[in-house]
Amino acid sequence: MPAYHSVFLDRPNPQVIGAITLPHSRTTSNALAASCPRTRGPAPTLPPLPPDVAELTIDDSHESYDPLDEILALFRANTFFRNFEIKGPADRVLIYGILFVSEALGKIKPGMGRRDAEKAVMNTALDTNFAIPGDASFPLNQAFEPPRDRNEAEVLRQYIQQMRQELAMRLLNRVYADGNTPSKWWLSFTKRKFMGKTL
Amino acid sequence: MAPQTPAVVMDNGTGYTKLGFAGNDSPSFVFPTAIATKGPSAGGAGGGSGSGRPAVANKPSFLTGGAGPTGHLSAKRGTEDLDFFIGDEALNAAAGPGYGLHYPIRHGQIENWDQMERFWSNSIFKYLRVEPEDHYFLLTEPPLNPPENRENTAEIMFESFNCAGLYIAVQAVLALAASWTSSKVQDRSLTGTVIDSGEGVTHVIPVAEGYVIGSSIKSIPIAGRDITYFVQSLLRDRGEPDSSLKTAERIKEEFCYVCPDIVKEFARFDREPDDRFKKYQMQQPGGRSVTVDVGYERFLAPEIFFNPEIYSSDFLTPLPNIVDTVIQTSPIDVRRGLYKNIVLSGGSTLYKDFGRRLQRDIRHLVDARIKASETRAGNAAKSGGLDVQVISHKRQRHGPWFGGSLLGQTPEFRSYCHTKAEYDEIGPSIVRRFALLGGPGST
Repeated sequence: MPAYHSVFLDRPNPQVIGAITLPHSRTTSNALAASCPRTRGPAPTLPPLPPDVAELTIDDSHESYDPLDEILALFRANTFFRNFEIKGPADRVLIYGILFVSEALGKIKPGMGRRDAEKAVMNTALDTNFAIPGDASFPLNQAFEPPRDRNEAEVLRQYIQQMRQELAMRLLNRVYADGNTPSKWWLSFTKRKFMGKTL
Repeated sequence: MAPQTPAVVMDNGTGYTKLGFAGNDSPSFVFPTAIATKGPSAGGAGGGSGSGRPAVANKPSFLTGGAGPTGHLSAKRGTEDLDFFIGDEALNAAAGPGYGLHYPIRHGQIENWDQMERFWSNSIFKYLRVEPEDHYFLLTEPPLNPPENRENTAEIMFESFNCAGLYIAVQAVLALAASWTSSKVQDRSLTGTVIDSGEGVTHVIPVAEGYVIGSSIKSIPIAGRDITYFVQSLLRDRGEPDSSLKTAERIKEEFCYVCPDIVKEFARFDREPDDRFKKYQMQQPGGRSVTVDVGYERFLAPEIFFNPEIYSSDFLTPLPNIVDTVIQTSPIDVRRGLYKNIVLSGGSTLYKDFGRRLQRDIRHLVDARIKASETRAGNAAKSGGLDVQVISHKRQRHGPWFGGSLLGQTPEFRSYCHTKAEYDEIGPSIVRRFALLGGPGST
């Protein structure tokens, strides 16, 4: 059984740019999200989580389940794998997401308080100077396609920006699920590299 | 005829030796197949003869008794040749000065006959405390053991130890016999696929009516030791206070299990943390007590059988696919029997739900192939389906030994053995062939 693929592969996709999908996603409604208004972006929004469903336990058939939930769910399993066969645009979202989670997780040091970790991780997430598919410094250009024009590139950049921030916030929620110390279970994954790559 | 003493069952594996008497439920002694002799350790493969003296006969002279000098041993014997330890005592002795540790068996086969002979002599006289001339012996051998090795074994057993009778059985066949204790086994057939996973290597061995199908055997370089290493690497990633091999081994043995799906299992750890995360208390050599958290390695470690990719970068084929390939390369008329009777044996198959996961994965492969072939046939021919059954049973850990104990206690066991008299009459070549114990015609 090889690495896990995205369940969004066989769902209708709203838009494909640079060979990755721009799927629907919902935004986390917590104080941190309100403080950085840029989580808004081009991704069409899904209904927010109903009160009876927690972020940690959402099921992949739920209507509010988005690719970011999936990234965080598959992150721990997939980081063990070096080979990954890309079956469609949704898998590319998964790859990018997992690699970003790796990067963000690397910013959290053992014993770091939640506030410091937020600062470090959001710094990375909010940094507008990141590579998108097609840029020379993007590590996965063989697997991704460059956007067709400047317009598309702009939308793609905004989407990835949105994804990075949203992922960072949800990751922090999980790593700091029980208090002000980071979970060592999550931090143990900082050294592993999915597909042997880093962003 | 000699009085009816129980047969001695000796299963010498690469890692551990199992000693006991036929008819017993479990071996009387289980200890590492290691021998400590005077002089430095041989280190690498093969061994060699300690302090530079030639490989001479290393058995007490009273042992040779009337058997006369043996062919491959020259006569020079000093008392220093008696100075050795086996098993756990060998490990202790080698920890101190003056002794070197040797492992006479490598990859299941005896590599150093001189050390093995001394190992056997201690096994018989110091541990089992029996007179070999009063007992029949049942020894085991790996599949594809060359006949010359059997002859050597017979030479030592008959000429050095003067044992009453000898039977050498293939470990895989004994493992099949051991599975007869499971309630899932209805007919006591000797057809089946044996998955034998010990410390060093995992073998998948198809056996048809008691005979090993040698051309289809496959081995996998992933076994107990690799699981230990993987647990250790996970402990280190997390920066646990103690990540020694010993701790990793204990965690592996105490906490690991096989899960149906790793992503779901991760989610389960998130949902029920109190139930899933465990703590392991250990005493460090200084007397300090240390607590090690046990987490995802509980299910990730045995997962390397089903997803070798997460551990190794050069071996990527999952165990279920290997088993499927082995059966598919066996003769077509025995495949059904091989799928129906997949028997586990060895310490690394003891994880909870190992058999269930293996059965599920093999069944998926088989069903997919049947479906594909039905589609190719234009749905003109329907398959009746294929029964895949993995047998796990209570005697798995020492499967081959237990199988030997089972067969060695049968009344007709002695008639299958070669006796000392037959050996004297014909010579070592007599052990090239043995009648099939427990095969068709016997009970």
